[in-house]
Formats: sequence, structure tokens, C-alpha cells
Amino acid sequence: MERDNHQEGEAQGVKICDPPSESNPPETLATSLSLLGNHMFPEPVVRKDSTTVVKEEPVDLHLSAVPAQEQNLDAEPISTQIKMLETDTAENQEQECPNNESTDTVDRGTEDAAGDNDQSDSGEFVVTMLAKAKLEEQGIGVKGRSSPLLEAGTQESPAFVSHRDEDVTAESWRQHRKHVFVLSEAGKPIYSRYGSEEALSSTMGVMMALVSFVQSSDNIIRSVYSEEHTVVFLQKGPLVLVCVSSSQQSEQQLRGELLYVYYQIISMLTQASISRIFEHKKNYDLRRLLAGSEKILDGLLNLVDSDPSFLLVAIHCLPLASSLRDSLSQILQKAITPNLVFSILIAKNQLLTIVQEKTVIEDTRLEPADVHLLLNLIGASSAFQAGEIWTPICLPLFNPDCYFYAYISYLDPPECTVCLLLLSTDKEAFYAVAECKRKIEEAMVAQNSLSLIAKAQSYSVSQVGVSDLRHFMYKPFDVPDNYRQLSQFTSPEMEAPYSSEEEKMRLLDLYRYMHSRIHSTSRPLKLIYHVAERETLLAWVTSKFELYTCFSPLVTKACAITAITKLLRWIKKEEDRLFIRYPPKYSTTPNPSKSSRGGKSDQPDSTDNGFLSLL
Amino acid sequence: MPEVSKMKKPDVKVVLLGDMNVGKTSLLHRYTERKFKDTISTVGGAFFLKQWGPYNISIWDTAGREQFHGLGSMYCRGAAAVILTYDVTNWQSLAELEERFLSLTDTANHDCIYAVVGNKADLTDPKAHLSQDLDGVSQDQTECEEDRTEPQVLSACPTPPASPASLSGMILHKQVTHEDALALYGRILRYKGLEEKSSLPAEKMCFETSAKTGYNVDTLFETLFDLVLPSILRKRNENQESPTVDLEECRVASGKRTKSTCC
Ligand SMILES: Nc1nc2c(ncn2[C@@H]2O[C@H](COP(=O)(O)OP(=O)(O)O)[C@@H](O)[C@H]2O)c(=O)[nH]1
Ligand SMILES: [Mg+2]
Repeated sequence: MERDNHQEGEAQGVKICDPPSESNPPETLATSLSLLGNHMFPEPVVRKDSTTVVKEEPVDLHLSAVPAQEQNLDAEPISTQIKMLETDTAENQEQECPNNESTDTVDRGTEDAAGDNDQSDSGEFVVTMLAKAKLEEQGIGVKGRSSPLLEAGTQESPAFVSHRDEDVTAESWRQHRKHVFVLSEAGKPIYSRYGSEEALSSTMGVMMALVSFVQSSDNIIRSVYSEEHTVVFLQKGPLVLVCVSSSQQSEQQLRGELLYVYYQIISMLTQASISRIFEHKKNYDLRRLLAGSEKILDGLLNLVDSDPSFLLVAIHCLPLASSLRDSLSQILQKAITPNLVFSILIAKNQLLTIVQEKTVIEDTRLEPADVHLLLNLIGASSAFQAGEIWTPICLPLFNPDCYFYAYISYLDPPECTVCLLLLSTDKEAFYAVAECKRKIEEAMVAQNSLSLIAKAQSYSVSQVGVSDLRHFMYKPFDVPDNYRQLSQFTSPEMEAPYSSEEEKMRLLDLYRYMHSRIHSTSRPLKLIYHVAERETLLAWVTSKFELYTCFSPLVTKACAITAITKLLRWIKKEEDRLFIRYPPKYSTTPNPSKSSRGGKSDQPDSTDNGFLSLL
Repeated sequence: MPEVSKMKKPDVKVVLLGDMNVGKTSLLHRYTERKFKDTISTVGGAFFLKQWGPYNISIWDTAGREQFHGLGSMYCRGAAAVILTYDVTNWQSLAELEERFLSLTDTANHDCIYAVVGNKADLTDPKAHLSQDLDGVSQDQTECEEDRTEPQVLSACPTPPASPASLSGMILHKQVTHEDALALYGRILRYKGLEEKSSLPAEKMCFETSAKTGYNVDTLFETLFDLVLPSILRKRNENQESPTVDLEECRVASGKRTKSTCC
């Protein structure tokens, strides 16, 4: 699983990669493009024995612009119940990073052994070629682009604004921070985040030519770096996903994001259907089946950029007095019908509570990624909120080949902030499930739950009572207490100076950077103290939690450590409110012999949803 | 586990079928909310309960996307009326009704009635700019301004256009004529093995509507609701034998899902 491409002799601080050489002989470009049609490249492009064209990632966000200082914390005493782990020294670099598992949830199955990565020339080549492919469509030259950090956030439009009609020849198109393309193995365009797939078909063709060329020599193309862009490829079954990013995220993070896109597609069609479709017809146009779902994918990508839940692979639940949360859970627990497997209550797009069927999911838990996909689906499809929606949905991490049937209804029209989501395995159960909703509604009226929920809100970091602490993200790992629970994290509202979209994005980018260091496959760190110009960040991972904190730039190391001690105490004190502590269960299956995840029992519906007959 | 109490069954079921983007959701929205606003492509199917006098009519708005094809027959099961919707500016959308959607209605009631509805008439037909359905201005107070504007001002309409044509406000080529729809209706009857003489006449069951202006929208739904009344009454009579019915009907009567319009 682990890709080992670490550079030796790096004591501490920032890794700096030489930017790939700027100059690219024009004749190489011309030659390569003329050869594209034959799916051939000049000999030196990809070495036969090379597995990838991965280049060591450029890491520091600020190095070029801002004096950054990064150092390891000495093991200073922190008086919490949690023993402070050793700091990042050469000795413990090999030690397994306890939080690797968390990213595996999303990353699993995508890590291939990578070998030689000394392929900077081909990397540069490939990127330039992608750029050239765009030029061909535009008929104009590449102009200098602004710093990705400057434009961070500014290009991000509010969710669900369609970018389908965007002019792909415009400079603004290329300046998007992160492009995402999905294509089929046969090179057919399936999705593009910006601009229509048709307009981009030649760009996609080039990407596919690349992918198939590398495949033909039994190598799988993984990523390409240039000074400005990181291009990450992910092949999943018959689909190829490509991200062209000018954000400074790690390849691992970008691949995780592509995986979310893949999972969202699976959630709509199932993996089994997609395989069957392409087995049946290699050049099938999958847009036929995804037509109308583009906004769901657009929405997902906007969330991925703006919501750290995706980065942390954890759920952010709405803070709620545990008594209220318990009473809501009990309401859900009482409104059941056969084949109901999950009852989920959501307010302001955050989880309030989740109750699950005992036997169907005996030995497993709902993966955060599946919950993220559900929340995104709800967010993207709630325009017409008066109705009760009944739709098939697949939870890819639970079982990528089967459908659940989702009942989605708002409990507080016309505001529509409190949403009930009931998942059944029975396609025909709509009326029975809708009846559960009516029971839940009645009970909530009786207990005045809606007005109590309306008062619930995220918290301010000032409640922690630590000056200099501006923001944090805290993700506890499974402890015996909440064994098999949903992975969760808690985080206060982003407040000044992170109120504007740009500043929020900048902080998130800093977190993403810290996260990439902590989760680096080559050299994971346990503790990072990162002094930037406008803030100081401290990230710390132990066997019990993962913590990212942001302080004012004036904080001293000693202060930061005291602050974290206080913060951890505060979280401990508040944890009943901040987290769903004991996800309750119910039993709706008469015979408790059902198998769970992956088991092709008669539980989730594995039918093909009927569209195969339309091929 | 306690016996799950039966869902208060609506009296009758009406299903909207048709390709995505023909305007099914917009039609329903126009009828129930008296508004035309931007829609998001429907996911699966959406269930609505409409109070029609003393009766509860359930309306299923379906996605029409191929992705959800397999669910179509489930949404149609036991339907008393099916609204087959196409877009008058798009010939393919009429063809799809026959190719893809008609077979889904196999699970509908044997006496199910069918309406063929050509939507977006505002794009092709100047008369569709004026709603005939206004039985009083008051009813339409809540609408977006643009809905009531005169045809010639439509070009200045500030709302996101549904198609390039409405951007310029020009009249689009009408790809599907009323006669095409009438012919399709005839073929539907044949597919169902129904006699033309003993069935509802095509002239009555083929509509051209505009969800955008409201043209013919109330007429469409109200005609259908009136036509399914016998079906409702028969169903109620059948249910008289069941002792639980009274209880259920009480709850139905006190249902709070009354829509903005009354009848
Ligand atoms: N001009 C015009 N546009 C319409 C009309 N009805 C719907 N639309 C537009 O057509 C698109 C699809 O509508 P929608 O109701 O979502 O279609 P559905 O997929 O059949 O539910 C939207 O952009 C609507 O604004 C209409 O009567 N006239
Ligand atoms: Mg719709």
C-alpha cells in the first residue's frame, strides 16, 4: 500500500523540489502531438521499466512567497491524560502513522506499488502536452496565470451554479483552481467540472491517449507535475478520472477527491451496472445515464473544496445537548418498518443523529464517505422541497453493487432546514416508510423538537476560552467507548480573520498542507509546528486523535502547548454535545441471520435498476 | 415488533411521465405553488399529496432520466391517470414517450386514463403567453413578475432562460404539432387494447401547456382530477368493507398537506 518515494537526508523543515524546467523544445511538442493520433510517443517519454511518472511533490505552500518556519516540537510536558507521543525525529519516521487508516477509507484500493519516480522529463512533457491540447482548441497562446493562492476561493462560485455553458477557450476557464474530468476507457467524455464535455472532447482525448499509452506498457499513469499544475489520474474499472489542479494539495489528497467523484457516480449507478454496461458496449456514452446528475457532481466538488469533512474523512455533526440528541434518536428508533436500515436526521446540512438497523450492519459501521455522498445528494436535489422523494441510492463503501431506497423529506417546510432520510432495502416500501415519517413528525411536534433543533448551532472558538486560538479541527479515533462508531470530527465556526471566502479557503489550504505532511506516505509526521506569516499552525496526531490548530502569529510554542492542553480538556468536557456518542440501533429484520456489508444477501437490492435494457 | 399501521392511502394516484427536461416538475410546481422557478433535475421520484375537495390525490413526479428507468413501473403501479409529457420544441421527447415510457404504464390500473401533454408552448405559440387558467387575478398574486408580462416584453425577462430560444424571446420552431399528439394518443389506446369509441376522445386528452406562463396548466390537472373521480368513488366503496377505513379517512381529512390552492 505504501508508496515509498521519500527523499533521504531530510532532517526537518520543508522539502523543496526543483520546479521542472521551464523550457520545452517546441519540436518535442509538435512531434508528440502529431504522433498522438497513432497513440505513440517518442521513445524517451515513459521508460519501459517505470511504473509511474510520479514526481516528488512540491510541498510548502508558502515557501516562495512567505518566510515560513517549520520545526519540530520538543517533547514538552503536556499534562493531559493523553501521553504525548514522541516528536518527529529520524528514529520514529518509520513508525506507523496511526492515522493512516483514516485516509485508507477513501484511498483504499488505489495505491499501487510505485517504483522509480525519476521521471521529471516525461512529467513536464505530459503537462505541456495537456496545455497544448487546450491551445489547439483555443487557437490562442497561454498567458501567464495568477498565483493559485491569490485566486483561491475567488473562482469558486456558489454551489450549483452551472458551469456547463462556460467558454472553454476563455482564459478564465484555464484559471480554475481545480478541473475534474471523467472519461471512459474508450476515451468518451463523461463529466467535466467546467465547460461542457463536448467542447472538451479533444482535451479528454489527449488524456485518454496518455492513459492508454501508459497502460499499453503495463504501467498505470498516476500523476504528473508541472510548476503550475498537478495532474492526477485515477482509473477505477472502466472509468478514468483526471484532476488538473493548481491548488497545492498533495497527490494523495487529490486522488482522494477523485475517489469521492467516482463514489458519487457509483452511488447513482452502482459499480456492477457500470461494469456491465461497458462490458456490453465499450464505447457507451455514460452521459445518457448521468444526464441530470451533473449538478450533484458539481455540488460534490464544491463541498470537497470547502468542507474539511472530506479531507478528514469524518462527519461533522451539529452540536446538540445530549439529552435532545437522545430524544431525537428515540423518536427515530420507534418509527420503524420492515427493511428499514438507516434513519438519519439532518439539520443545516449537518448530522443530528443516525440510527441503524442492528443485524444488517452487525459488524460494520456507516462510512463517513457514504454519509458525505448522502448529504451532498440531499443538498443538490432539494430544490423542490415540498415533495417526498423516493429514489434508489447506492452506498459505495457499504456495498458498491447494491441499491438502497432513500426516502427524503423535509420536516419544517417552508424553511426546509431539517431533513429526514430513511433508507430501506425494499424498493416497494415507499408508503410504509412515508408512514414512519408521519410518526416521526407527530412525535417531534409533541416534544417540540423542531424549535429546539432550530436553536442548535455551531460554536465559536471563543467558548474554549483560549486566547490566540483561532480555529481547530479535532478528530478522535475509535476508542473503546465509541468503538465502531462513525468517524467524526469537531470544529468551531470559522470566524475573523477567516470570515471571507478567500480567507476561509486560505486556512483550509493551510490545513490541507499540514494534513498532507501528517499523512505523507514517504515521511509521515506526528507533530508539526508551522509558523507562517499570518498565523501559526500546529498539527498533532496521536493514537487517540488527530488535531489541527490555528493560532495567531504571536503565539509562542509554550503558549501553543498550554492552549492545546486546555483545548483537549474543553473537548473532553463537551464531548457529549460535540459528538454522537452512542449511535443507537433498532431491529427491523425478523430473522437476524442476514449478512452485512458486501454480502450479496437478499438485503440491499442488487438489481440493475432497469436501465440496462435500454442499451 | 408491532404491526406497522398502514399508511393512509391516498384516494387516487396520478403519475407524470416523460423525458427529463420536458417540464414535468415545473408543471407540478406551477399547479401547486402557482410559480415558475428554476428546477433541479428530479432525483428518482417525488411524491405530492393534493387535496381535491374531500379527496386526496397523490401525484408522482418522476425523473424521466434513464438512470431511474427501472423505477418507472413502480411509480405507475395502480395509477388512475398518467400524464405523458413532451416538449413541443423537441420531437425526440414525443418519440421517447412511445419508446421508453409507454411500457412503464403496464402496471397502471386497467381503467387508467392517459393525457398527452405538450409543454413549453410559450416558446412556440403566442397565445400560450396568456394563461387561460386565471379565474381571478387574486389567485395569481404570488407569481414571479415575469410570468405575467406581455409576450413582447419576454425578451427582457431577467430569470435564467430555460433554453437559448427564450433568451431572445423569439418564437421557436414547433417540432411537434397538435396532430402528432392526437396520433400518439390513438396509438396509446391501441397499445392498451382500448376501443377509441369507448375511450375518452383525443381532443379532450391532448393538451398544450406552458409551465412558464401557466397556460392550460390548471385545466390539465383539474380535467384529470374530475375524470378520476369515478375511480375514487369506486375505490372508496370497495374499501367500505374494511373496518379500518373510517379511521384512516378521519386522518386523511385532517391531513395538513393542503396546497395553496383550494377548490
Ligand atoms: N419556456 C419554458 N421553459 C420551461 C417550461 N417548463 C419547464 N421549462 C424549463 O425546462 C427545464 C426543465 O424543466 P423541469 O421542470 O425540471 O423538467 P423535468 O425534468 O421534466 O421535470 C427548466 O429549465 C425549466 O425552466 C415552459 O413551460 N416553458
Ligand atoms: Mg423533474
